[in-house]
Amino acid sequence: MADSAVKRLEERIAYELLLIAALVGLALVQITLLPSPLEFPPALVLVVVLCRVLVGSRSLQIDNGVDGVIRWAFYGGLGLDVFSTAPFGSHALALVVATSLIALLTRRLQIEGFLLPAVAIPVGVLVYETILALIYALTVAPLEWQSYAGWVILPGMVAALVIMVPIFALMRWFIVQRG
Amino acid sequence: MRDYLNDPSLKLRKERSAAATSRRPVVLALLFSALALALLLLSSSGMLGPTRGLAQQALGPVAQTLTAMRDGLGDLFGGFGSGQLQAENEALRQQVSQLEAELLKRNQAQVENIYLRQQLAIQQEKPWKLLGAEVTVRSSDAGRRVMTIARGSDNGVQVGMAVIGQTGTNPAALVGIVEAVGPATADVLLITDFGSQISARVIHDEDSTLGLVRGQWQRGSRLKLEVDRDSAVAIGDAVVSAGLSGTLNLPMPLASVPANIPIGTIEAINSDSYTQVAELRPYVDPDRVRYVWLILP
Repeated sequence: MADSAVKRLEERIAYELLLIAALVGLALVQITLLPSPLEFPPALVLVVVLCRVLVGSRSLQIDNGVDGVIRWAFYGGLGLDVFSTAPFGSHALALVVATSLIALLTRRLQIEGFLLPAVAIPVGVLVYETILALIYALTVAPLEWQSYAGWVILPGMVAALVIMVPIFALMRWFIVQRG
Repeated sequence: MRDYLNDPSLKLRKERSAAATSRRPVVLALLFSALALALLLLSSSGMLGPTRGLAQQALGPVAQTLTAMRDGLGDLFGGFGSGQLQAENEALRQQVSQLEAELLKRNQAQVENIYLRQQLAIQQEKPWKLLGAEVTVRSSDAGRRVMTIARGSDNGVQVGMAVIGQTGTNPAALVGIVEAVGPATADVLLITDFGSQISARVIHDEDSTLGLVRGQWQRGSRLKLEVDRDSAVAIGDAVVSAGLSGTLNLPMPLASVPANIPIGTIEAINSDSYTQVAELRPYVDPDRVRYVWLILP
């Protein structure tokens, strides 16, 4: 009995470490590998986490629902924080808040196809970038919000929508394959 | 435990479940948000600096390799479809760049002869010592322009040092200021970041005007220059660092920025009742540099 409890704990810890490694790796891919046609790479970690939320109703085999998604957001955010000059925790906070909000807003919606992510992803980017902007405004310098919206938030939404299509399709296919 | 994602779902605008909702996800979201906020506050007070430095050191080699892979792929795809036009374009750019560099040098010399002879003499006695560094990572944040370089306090890097770079055939020019230093890496705040402020000197005919260069998000003209409304400035004027804090030996982060580092040229000028704000195009696009040099004091 005790052995099986220890084994479960070990499995749990191993799973958690694997999850952290995967999400830090994803953050590294965003920072280093993704092209930057808009002078910054698309928010890959945010899009992956939000897509995971949106396909979540069928994906209980992968993780345990909203609880798991919030952990994804937190670990991915910490990965982004390592190579950022914003205070450590900024990206984790922005990702957790954006993910939680989208999860709570969409939890009772089930729309097949790309309509739901096409609406939810830009909203997620808006929340994410606004939180980061607030942190910048408090810790770096006053922001010109109109300029920030025009040159950072809107292009960020477009870039996120572009990468959302293959990521969402891949995740949904994966869920379907797993039955 | 109840799982929200496994709740009976609603068709949009069709049904609505009357089932009571669990508070667990909300509690978890609040818990992780509070944890992130606590990290943020600890980091703001400087307590997490060493931890982040260690993490950067551990992940740095991987990040540097991946960045080099991306740059290599960029070169590969950039090479397609260009051919002779690209070569001619490159040659013309080189000519323009050389002329610009000569013009800037001559204008600078004129101004220095009139106003800065003594200061220049001192600077010539102490030529810059350069330390080369590879760019490890560029910030992935849409709102920031920051990069990490593979040199740190172990190599003598200090906060406030000026960082110069060169892309293509452009003259070497200021790309940023060292903002934070770890043992083996340093964060460089690029001049195009919205938080960057550099004292600058505009060279106009045989005169020069002091101003402040700030970063901005706009593509194209990436910098803006604020000068007094009555100051004589014109499109095409060259802008160099003023090095004021260095001259005055102030205990500020910018105290290590020498004077006369080329920054960019004026592209457009907008005036209001108090100031003139000029659009400034940097000589070197800080987002494109892969190797930089730190100016050692």
